Amino acid sequence: MDSLFLQQVVNGLIIGSVYSLIAIGLTMIFGVMRISNFAHGDYAMVGAYVAVFVMMWLPGPLGWVNALLAAAVIVAVAGVVSELLIFRPLLDRRTDIDMIMVSIGLFILLENLAQFFFEARPRMLADPFGGNTVDLGLVSTSQLRLFCLAFSCVAIAGLQVFLNRSKTGIAIRATSQNSRAARLMGIDINRIYTLTFGLGSAMAGIGGVLYGTLFAVYPTMGAIPTLKAFVVTILGGMGNIRGAIFGGFILGVAETLGGSYLAMEYKNAIGFVIIILVLLIRPQGLFGQREGV
Amino acid sequence: MTPRTTRRLLTAAGLAAFFTLPLVVTDRYFLHILVMTGIFAILTSSWNLLTGYAGQLNLGHAAFYGIGAYTSAILATRLGINPWAGLLAGGLLAAAAGFLLGIPSLRLSGPYLAITTIGFAEILRLVAMNWVDLTRGSLGLYGIPPLTPIPITSNVSIEFTSERNFLYVLLIVLLLTVWAIRRMIRSGFGVTLKALRDDEVGAESIGVDTARFKLTVFTISAFFAGVAGALFAHYQRLISPDTLSLGETFAILTMTMLGGLGTLTGPILGAVILTFFSEWLRFVEDMVKLDVRMVIYGLLLIVTIRFMREGVVGLLVKLPWWPKTLGKGGSDGR
Repeated sequence: MDSLFLQQVVNGLIIGSVYSLIAIGLTMIFGVMRISNFAHGDYAMVGAYVAVFVMMWLPGPLGWVNALLAAAVIVAVAGVVSELLIFRPLLDRRTDIDMIMVSIGLFILLENLAQFFFEARPRMLADPFGGNTVDLGLVSTSQLRLFCLAFSCVAIAGLQVFLNRSKTGIAIRATSQNSRAARLMGIDINRIYTLTFGLGSAMAGIGGVLYGTLFAVYPTMGAIPTLKAFVVTILGGMGNIRGAIFGGFILGVAETLGGSYLAMEYKNAIGFVIIILVLLIRPQGLFGQREGV
Repeated sequence: MTPRTTRRLLTAAGLAAFFTLPLVVTDRYFLHILVMTGIFAILTSSWNLLTGYAGQLNLGHAAFYGIGAYTSAILATRLGINPWAGLLAGGLLAAAAGFLLGIPSLRLSGPYLAITTIGFAEILRLVAMNWVDLTRGSLGLYGIPPLTPIPITSNVSIEFTSERNFLYVLLIVLLLTVWAIRRMIRSGFGVTLKALRDDEVGAESIGVDTARFKLTVFTISAFFAGVAGALFAHYQRLISPDTLSLGETFAILTMTMLGGLGTLTGPILGAVILTFFSEWLRFVEDMVKLDVRMVIYGLLLIVTIRFMREGVVGLLVKLPWWPKTLGKGGSDGR
């Protein structure tokens, strides 16, 4: 194993952790409410813009930390509002076509509102670590990238603890497994829906800040995270959180390896090729039966 | 008047309007908008067959459109093949792609199918961007010849370089598309499709070969989209990988939803309304210096799905004098 290969694997794991972070929200929302939200990546875009504006007032590392918090809160609110106004009224529709199409409407709306208010030019979020690199022997990376990896892992682990240990978390999982039974047990389903949507979009919002700091912030940036998040959730089985975590890392590594060894220009196609193969061979995703949150 | 006569009169009036409009209109810009409307009407009608009637959510319709456009354009510019043959070739290759994409659809539905179809279109778009030797990449293919003239006598022939004559070709293709779809949905095939859309397991349990039906609809829907793409290539005479973009599919989707998903006239109505509306908005935007067109698209889509699921056709049907079966296209009223 040469160091280039190892370097690409590390790079893949780093970007993969951000994919996981964004995809977890998508898979949670699908698991609990059966909503496939094609506007999910736009919550990441909103989060990234929150960071842009917070860092205008408060530059530097402190601003960036505050930006992460602000993005989580503001995007959670945005998620809850869109759930109540747009998705909730359609929950009793018979087909999922309506739900998917309304989310596409939201996607078009958010993307173009951003274009309208924030201008089309890409903006950069200043690296809070000043571009410092870390040398880890065989591989090297930047402090920022290492932080993204660590932060995503902590956020994901935190969510896991919340879902597995807290009473509310257990209620979310119960609703995802069987909403009717959960309601019979006295769980307020509507509250769980709102909570899940808020939590799921907040994860996307945080992911958007990381994604925007690693790359750039622009109004149409949401489309790529949306598609990647769908690839990741399908890889892991939709509604399956553990699947989404592994799926994110797998996609990240597959993309960087494919990009450097096969063809850079087809990097964004790799995920689609993988899921088309997965769906043909194993429609339930790589990680067994659909498990629920 | 019985609903049947009213319906026939309205259809006749609509057809007459369609065929006289190009004669009355002289403004080239207006004719161009009509051409774009026609192309979109073929796309929305074919998308509606697959998604509205058969319930298969296809978010990669732009792929079929793009395959048709690139096939005919490449055949004409590289091999000098007659554009008329190119139309057919574009349609057939798109149909083959539709058949291929139909295969995974046998096992997939909802979000899985949606993502697979998006993935298919995105992969093709990346190929069109990067296979520079064949497609000239993001520069696009230019110098595509127009449809060759049809000779009438030894020295008179019909040219297709003018918008007007091209518009007639387009109208004929659109009519063929709608006629084919209408024949399909009014037959036993259509009944099966609706059964497939409403309850796939149920349909299968009473002996419907759902696989065969899905593949057939995918193939036919793709064929018409491919022909529309080829027509566009020989009209615009310049195509770029944008023809394969997600935005193109979303425009088709918004038009169909606005007009009325799962109805025969809805998709055409939606194409007419949105193409003209967005051209009108262009003027308004120039005046007020705001770019709000796409914001309105998004809002329209959300509002349509929430409050008028049957689209504009659904509203028209509620008018007291409107013949009750027109525009419903044999739909079950959803």
